[in-house]
Formats: sequence, structure tokens, C-alpha cells
Amino acid sequence: MTLGPPLHEQVAALTWLQSLRLAPDLVTPGAKPEATLEAEAEALFGPLPLMGMTLLEIGAGNGGFSLAALRRGAVSAVVTDHLAWSLPGAEAGMATMLALEATGAPAQAMVLDPRALTPEFGRFDLVLGTAFFEQLFNPILALRGMSSVTGQVLLLETAQAALDEARPMLTATTRPMPYGALVSGWAPNPALMGPLLRDLGFVRVLHRAHPIEGAARGLYAAFKPDAAAGLAAGFGAPWRELAMPA
Amino acid sequence: MTPQSELSDQELLARIGRITWFHSLELRPGIVTPGAKSLAVLRREEEALLGPFDLRGRSVLDIGAWNGAFSFASKRRGAARVLATDEFAWTHPTYKGLESFELARAELGLEVETLQLDPTRMDASLGQFDLVLFLGVFYHLFDPIDVLQRMRAVTGQVLLVETHQDALEREEPAMVFYPGRTLANDDTNWWGPNPPLMLHLLRQLGFARIYYRDHPHYLPAEGSRTRGIFAAILPGAEPAMSAHFGIEWRDLGAAGAMRDFRP
Repeated sequence: MTLGPPLHEQVAALTWLQSLRLAPDLVTPGAKPEATLEAEAEALFGPLPLMGMTLLEIGAGNGGFSLAALRRGAVSAVVTDHLAWSLPGAEAGMATMLALEATGAPAQAMVLDPRALTPEFGRFDLVLGTAFFEQLFNPILALRGMSSVTGQVLLLETAQAALDEARPMLTATTRPMPYGALVSGWAPNPALMGPLLRDLGFVRVLHRAHPIEGAARGLYAAFKPDAAAGLAAGFGAPWRELAMPA
Repeated sequence: MTPQSELSDQELLARIGRITWFHSLELRPGIVTPGAKSLAVLRREEEALLGPFDLRGRSVLDIGAWNGAFSFASKRRGAARVLATDEFAWTHPTYKGLESFELARAELGLEVETLQLDPTRMDASLGQFDLVLFLGVFYHLFDPIDVLQRMRAVTGQVLLVETHQDALEREEPAMVFYPGRTLANDDTNWWGPNPPLMLHLLRQLGFARIYYRDHPHYLPAEGSRTRGIFAAILPGAEPAMSAHFGIEWRDLGAAGAMRDFRP
């Protein structure tokens, strides 16, 4: 086995989506700053007792949220992405592999389209999707797949739209993504998320605005019927319970 | 087209009477099935939906055919092959859709194929049809995005979508979700798209031109465009299937095409 180039040179050779601290003096030069990533990770994971949980991350980018969950006590992570890792010339997949290897995280990386998920893939205590609706041609099918492998809780971070609407609404969007593609996707309003996730097998949905960008983006925590008792106990304000239809 | 049936008028009327009909079909002179949609309504719908297309020699796939009015109309307009499909209405205990379809087909003596299959399970293995009729189905689907993608896979030239619509006051492409019995007290209604949403989705799926017309019975003055008809045309479609849209139709890709949708 030959020694590769030093880690900081390998890091510098790749394009990064997220700024990840791989060593005390080494942070990857990602489009998303370390402080933003940490604020989002705190908003998402802070209320949840992650100790001992298994994680599946969808649309992981460079895996920053998976690494944060592992630091906070999750036992293992399956780190996946689809578009950002498979577009021609995309380096995000390679960058993720390097980050996981450099940190020695108990995680495996794979290309995965969440629309293809079925219960045979496994069952994870926590399933996570960030920058979610805006990158998916079909978020309904993706959520159906993700629900089928969620054991306890699903966490979503997403663009939102139609905030002035009391009716549940899904808006189509086309946005440039940090990995250099113009992507057509969607943005829900909060009124949609309770009823939609209820029909996909969740019994309780909590919501808060994004910690930095406010109501333009939303965070959601959706719980399965057999989630551990008290799992939602830490979700105080600004989280609020979304009304579920009877 | 010779009727295959050897039923007496009396027997035919008795069989008609055991079924709850959606389409009024004249099966014999003076014998019309008592459909929720009258003969006159169906005639106007047929002209609005099929009028722009020269179906002679072409293939038609009818999704959610129910009693078969538009399958039979397509065959009468000269289609070489018509495949009628349904599952919900055909297996429904009250609607008895497949029985109704087969009764009507035998009486009318029209050669129309049937396949009992829900559109959520259709894919390219079904083949491609010059015209796909996707009428009154979109809003009944929990995942209309997936099914529209499937419809694209079975379309050879034109996909015709007739649907309930909503959110017409909004400029951006959007669709309203109806949990439970929100819409018309019917728990099979899921989504109400606006025209910009249909344009967006159909373009994403590779259709080159999308034409719109108001539904002939839900005109703006009466019902604020609660239903619309979208003709989505693939690149390379024949002129006979894509060049005869009258003044009721507008090209949604044209500048200002969306302007007067908003109240």
C-alpha cells in the first residue's frame, strides 16, 4: 500500500458543497459555511435523543449532516445522494467518500434515488432529507419510499412556498443548485405537510422555520406510530405541532 | 358495425337497469343508457376533446374508460386500434364498469380492446399510442406526477388531459391537496392543479407544445374554469394530430397565454 498525498492536498483537489471540519486545523472549502451547517444541524438534531440511532440520509451532499448526527450519538449512517453524485463531472460523491474516510465515521456512502426505496432496503430509526422538495421531480414518490424505511422519525429541511395559503399546496420551482445544475422541483407550504405525511404513514408532524433563512425554508419532524415514547418530548418552541386531519 | 347482441329489447333494458351509468350511450334506436352525463353533454365533450385530431388509421389508448363513451367515439372517428382501460370503475360493485362496457360494445358492434389495469401500474410495455385519453383521472390520483410520467411513456404523439383545476388565481405553477373528503365530499379526489402547473409538468416530461381550452361545460362565466383540457404534443407529431386547434384553444407556451386565467 502506497501513501497517498496528504489529506489537505486531497481536500484542495476537490469541489466541496459543504464546509466540514475533518481535523482541528482542516475545514473543507464548501459552498455552505461551517457555521450555517452547524446551525442547521442544531435546529434539526438538537431536540432529538440521537443516542444509539441508525440513520439514513437522502440527498446528503457531502454528508455533513450525517457526520453531525454521528457526533451527536447516532451509531451508524448510510449516506446517500443521487443527482449531486451522478451528474457528469460531479465530485461531491468522491468528496463525501474522502470526508467519511478521513473522519473514520461508521458510515457507508452510496448513490441512491429515494423513489426506489422499499422496505427490503432496511429500517432506520431516523431518515433525513435536506434541501428536499426543491431537488425532486417527484417528492411524493420519494416520500413514499422514505416512509417505507423509516422506523421512528423522518426529518426534512426544505424550501417552502405559498405561505399565504391556508389550503395545502405544492408549488413547482426551478432553481440553480450548488452542484451547478438548474433543477426543477417543488416547494410545499406548511399546511400541506401534516395531511400529506399522514397519508404516507406518519401520525404526528412538527414544524419550525429555518434557523437562518426563516419561513422561506422549513424544518419538519414526522413520527411513525411505533416511534419510542417521548421521542418528540424535546421539540419545544419554535417547533409547533401541525394539525392532522381526522 | 353490426350489433353482436341477440338480446331482446326487454332483456337489454333489464341489463341496462342493473348498472349505474356515467355515460349516456345510445345502444339501439330509442334505447339510451341513463348516464349521469346526457347524450347532449357527451356530444359536446366529444367534439371539444377529439375535434382537433384526425384519428383515421391511428391508435388510441383510453385511460379510465368507464362505460366507454370516448373509446367508442374514437373508433367511430376511424381509429384503427382503440384500447380501453380502467380498474376503479370497472371493478366497482355499483358501477359494474366492465360489464357495462362489454354490454355496450356488443350492442354497438365496435371493435375495441379492453385491459383491466390501473394507470398507476402502466408503463412502456403497454406500447405507445398516437393519442392517449387521460380524462377525469389526474385529480383522482394521490401521486399524479408518477402517473403523468407513466402516461408520457405510453404516448406516441399526443396526450390529452382533462382535469379538475384549482389555484387559478396564482401565477406560479401550483396544485392544491385535498385531504380526506375536502373536495366535493369525495375521498378519491386528491389534487387540483392550475394551468401553469400542467404546463410545467408536461414540459418537464418532454412535450414540445401544450394547448389549453376551457371545458365546454365549465365555462369561465359559470364555474370559474373549474375544469380544463390540455393537449400535450410530442416533438415530431404528425400534422393530422397536432395542427387543427381551433380558436377555443390557446398555446400555453405563447407570451401572455396565462394572463386571463387569474380572476
